[in-house]
Amino acid sequence: MAAADSPSAALRRRDLCSRGIRLAGKMRADVVDLLDAYVEQQGLDASASVAAMEGVPLAAVERWDEQTGTQRLQENLAAYRAFRALLAQMLEEQREQLGEAEEGLGRALAAVLLQVSAFAYHLEELLRLESRGVPGEEGDAPPPPPRLSLFEQKLRGLGVLRELAQWAVRSVRDLRQLAKPSPAPGAAPGLAESP
Amino acid sequence: DSHIQYERVGADVTMKCGSMDWDAAVTWTANGTDIDESHLNGSYLILKNVDLSQSGQYSCYEGSSWHLKYQTYLRVGTPPKEPVLMCRSNNYPKGFYCSWHLPTPTYIPNTFNISVIHGTKDMVCEKDAVPKNRCHIRYLQLFSTVKYKVTLTVTNALGKNSTTVTFDEFAIVKPDPPESVVAKPVPNNPRRLEVSWQNPSSWPDPESFPLKFFLRYRPLILDQWQHVELSDGTSHTITDAYAGKEYIIQVAAKDNDIGTWSDWSVAVHATPWTEEPKHLTTEAQITETTSASTSSFMAPPTTKICDKGAVVGSGAMAVCWTAGLVVAAYSVLFI
Repeated sequence: MAAADSPSAALRRRDLCSRGIRLAGKMRADVVDLLDAYVEQQGLDASASVAAMEGVPLAAVERWDEQTGTQRLQENLAAYRAFRALLAQMLEEQREQLGEAEEGLGRALAAVLLQVSAFAYHLEELLRLESRGVPGEEGDAPPPPPRLSLFEQKLRGLGVLRELAQWAVRSVRDLRQLAKPSPAPGAAPGLAESP
Repeated sequence: DSHIQYERVGADVTMKCGSMDWDAAVTWTANGTDIDESHLNGSYLILKNVDLSQSGQYSCYEGSSWHLKYQTYLRVGTPPKEPVLMCRSNNYPKGFYCSWHLPTPTYIPNTFNISVIHGTKDMVCEKDAVPKNRCHIRYLQLFSTVKYKVTLTVTNALGKNSTTVTFDEFAIVKPDPPESVVAKPVPNNPRRLEVSWQNPSSWPDPESFPLKFFLRYRPLILDQWQHVELSDGTSHTITDAYAGKEYIIQVAAKDNDIGTWSDWSVAVHATPWTEEPKHLTTEAQITETTSASTSSFMAPPTTKICDKGAVVGSGAMAVCWTAGLVVAAYSVLFI
């Protein structure tokens, strides 16, 4: 905690948060564009409701304002690691289904995957800064996905991109909370030990 | 017996005089005025094709004794049309409100029932005391992709109607307009106006949920607005105002990441700084008239443009030169 509160650490945290906010903002814009392209090229209804699917991290959270900084970072990191795997899977499925025919969509997917990876790394940096330790990824590995029909794959893809777009907004909000200066030690809202 | 009777506009209404026989001698009154016998069928009162003006108190009296035998309050109205419902979050992330109204009045009392469903969860929308046609709800979750479904049912004695709106959390976020917009001239700067404003007081946490702003301004005499989008801060200096022209300025707000723009703020007016009016000299008048080919704006006679006594820049000549520029600038407005 002392390391997290030193002036240089506070500055570094603010800097990482600011850059993270910009990364998340750009990522969100690209995901929204990708979502539009995906819906069109996959022949889906943009307003279709997609039930929560196993392995897709839901951005929805209760009592968001009561979360500690550590919770925010850890939940974000877990989510983006999951999205990294999900997007890689989507990219693979795209290539299997459509080969070279939908290069544009594949490129857009790859670009978002890159941003998701970069953001996950950024979150790890923030966690390291707070001396929280970065959780290993072994426990995060999703179970092997069940074999889905083509239509189910498309719906799953829609669900993944929608949740990712929500997460990008949530991440911006989370990082703004983290960037707030901490009050007196022992009562830090951003990075207090979780109750 | 006294009660309320609701009937549709255009309906035919038959009123019985309580338990009196059909052939009993009775007198009916409407709001104390005797009703002509032509409206009677025996002791029954027949009102055909009722309209709103026939609402009122109807009383039936026994013929000779004038004992009151029956009384009713007739309310003529219509069943409700489909209500208009809208929901909005002006205090994100705390919650949202829904408000409604009927497109046409029913002229009789209505009750409104609202239900809010988020996924499979029923939520309670708490009715506001003021205004009456509004309720508010606190978000239990944030960042959900699951849509909210709000159904409003309006019921009265003559029928019911309902409407449903479906939306997601981000789509309805619309702040109130910025408050306390102030526009001031900048001393010694004839083309600048300093504008400042405050976040709407209903927006609960501008630090965590910052707003961005859109400023629009134009001289009163022109129709076309200039626009500036500002991603942070609650002030802006306009640097391209036309000297001496009164401006109208408004500001709108939007969450930095989601939702839609607020309505425009209350408009404020301001005129850029101009030099203290001084007595026009002969040279100044000649300067104005020789510039007439590119200028059609003439300073009012009391405006003092060139004053050898004034010190602006490097002296009186600078003042006259500046005045010439000002006059030339006016010409742009009228070409």
